[in-house]
Amino acid sequence: MTITRRNVLLGATAVAALAPIASRAQTSEVVIGVLYPLSGASAQQGVDAQKAYEAALDVINKNHEFDLPMAKGEGLSGLGGAKIRLIYADHQGDPQKGRAEAERLITQEKVCAIVGTYQSSVAVTVSQTCERYQIPFMSADNSSPSLHARGLKFFFRAAPHDEMFTKAMFDFYDALKKKGTKIETLALFHEDTIFGTDSANAQTKLANERGYKIVADIKYRSNTPSLSAEVQQLKVANADVLMPSSYTTDGILLVKTMAELGYKPNAIVAQAAGFSEKALYDAVGDKLEGVITRGSFSLDLAAKRPMVGAINALFKEKSGKDLNDNTSREFMALVVLADAVNRAKSTDGEKIRAALAATEIPGEQTIMPWKRVKFDEMGQNNDADPVLLQYIGGKFVTISPPQGVVAEAVWPMK
Amino acid sequence: MTAQTIIQSLASGLLMGLLYGLIAVGLALIFGLMDVVNFAHGEFLMIAMYATFFLFAFFAIDPLLSAPLVAAALFVFGAVVYLLIVRFAVRAKANAGMVQIFSTFGLAIVMRGLAQYFFTPDYRSVTHSWLGGKTVSIGGIFLPEPQLIGAAVAIAAFGGLYFFINRTDFGRALEATREDAGAVALVGIDKNRVFALGWGLGAALVGLAGAIMSIFFYIYPDVGASFALIAYVTVALGGFGSVFGAFAGGIIVGLVEATTALLLPPSLKAVGIYAVYLLVVFVRPRGLFGSM
Repeated sequence: MTITRRNVLLGATAVAALAPIASRAQTSEVVIGVLYPLSGASAQQGVDAQKAYEAALDVINKNHEFDLPMAKGEGLSGLGGAKIRLIYADHQGDPQKGRAEAERLITQEKVCAIVGTYQSSVAVTVSQTCERYQIPFMSADNSSPSLHARGLKFFFRAAPHDEMFTKAMFDFYDALKKKGTKIETLALFHEDTIFGTDSANAQTKLANERGYKIVADIKYRSNTPSLSAEVQQLKVANADVLMPSSYTTDGILLVKTMAELGYKPNAIVAQAAGFSEKALYDAVGDKLEGVITRGSFSLDLAAKRPMVGAINALFKEKSGKDLNDNTSREFMALVVLADAVNRAKSTDGEKIRAALAATEIPGEQTIMPWKRVKFDEMGQNNDADPVLLQYIGGKFVTISPPQGVVAEAVWPMK
Repeated sequence: MTAQTIIQSLASGLLMGLLYGLIAVGLALIFGLMDVVNFAHGEFLMIAMYATFFLFAFFAIDPLLSAPLVAAALFVFGAVVYLLIVRFAVRAKANAGMVQIFSTFGLAIVMRGLAQYFFTPDYRSVTHSWLGGKTVSIGGIFLPEPQLIGAAVAIAAFGGLYFFINRTDFGRALEATREDAGAVALVGIDKNRVFALGWGLGAALVGLAGAIMSIFFYIYPDVGASFALIAYVTVALGGFGSVFGAFAGGIIVGLVEATTALLLPPSLKAVGIYAVYLLVVFVRPRGLFGSM
């Protein structure tokens, strides 16, 4: 076919005529990028995250009676009932792929914000890319403190970071010590990317401040084929508390190798990650009776706040799992972001950023044990109180902080 | 550092090293036979682990019993991969090397993708088995039973393979085809059949390793990646194409890894392996037992 001048003119006229419709159609939906590992070693976390975001999307886009921002009524009232549409992208746990995918989401998919990313190491590059394009980055489940400390304008995190989590652990040790339990020595076991190193740094700092002795500090390479040498060193150190910061694969191998080498730690207090995943307890739960992990979420809250149970049911219907430390944070991240877009009444990055900065959601209107959601000038919510959970009889019970305690901690573990 | 710590580390390293050898030998065999590096070797290991897992999950067959079944299944799989893919890849007229690399590399990606699609990316484990979690303690040195059996199987497999290659007609045909694939056709040996059986044998050996490993390792679509990397180093260290080299290479890698973790921070333990590998490449580029 040859293209004549008339064809071109006709086409141009058609485009011009349709353009206003297209732009009007755009405001009826708000496009948000969701960036997770959907393949590779951590793909399962990405798949679970997808289910959490689908649950949040259900709450936001459909009419629910929950006392949560954006639950009542359909869509975002501030944008004439516009619905949120999520675009998922896969970063495979690789910071460079994360950067490239963030760029693609912003420039080609025209997302107005990005939420992600599970691995803190990927959040580093994704948040830098967002900053460059002036698009808000909502860190749902990254826990490295150095993320917000960089002072990015477009970085926001509603959940606690590992210094807050670690402080909760040491507060708990102090309380136990006061009651006469012997806790003097600690062994750190952490993977070697920003998550593990930041976590270990926070733990080392607090241990020094509060007079605990670190007798082993083992940094290992993630997804290693064997942990025998590492576990051997932990066994020799035989600390009062073993503190792992590990993803699921290494967590499973750690517990299996400890059993094989005849090492029974006195107590384990984990920096969540792998230790809040169902897969780990399916594999080695029988060896973990009494393990303690930090968390940002506790199902025990459902007794006080029935909405938590209802939302857990909504998520379970999609995923077959209960909400955990990660999926609960992912759910809340999208709700907080939607609330900001709604108040911004716009999909402009700068306006959403301003609305996020002005966020003030009381704790009761979340599914978390938090005081409230309010961001400081670094984009960090300092009123997100962490909890400590203990794995007893096949489920988690809250053992700290004092106001949320359901059961007395079992110490040492079985 | 006590003597006990050192002995424990070396013992763990030796057991792991024998398994590394068993994983790598299939790779060495296939390379020796037809100069093709199978980049899907780690994925062969992965499907062997999944096969073991599913036999356990659906039919409650213990990994020790299913090991021969899995090895047999992998034998068929390996032969089919040769007949359907590699046979055509090696015929490429131009850029034959690249075509071979990309065909097995592509196969690896497809297998990983299919595994993720059909088996989900969730981490699986054989939760209870005859040997799982059992361990023998000799004077404070702990030897996990699954790894002990794995080491025994590896030694038996190498013994069997040695006998097979040196004492049977097919083994001689294998050696002859490897020396000169053109000349064997003159004496009536079907080259394709030998290659297919070679691929089958190589896959069966990694299948055996996968079945044993699923007793003590987690299983997910990417599980092959880190083991495949070690297998490539093992083969390169021991000498490309040398079956005995893979055996020795595996033991060396296991021991070096354990020793490095004793001396350096464990996150650097791979450094020791690659340092030894570099040294070998400088001193003896064809690998320790390479005959090329």
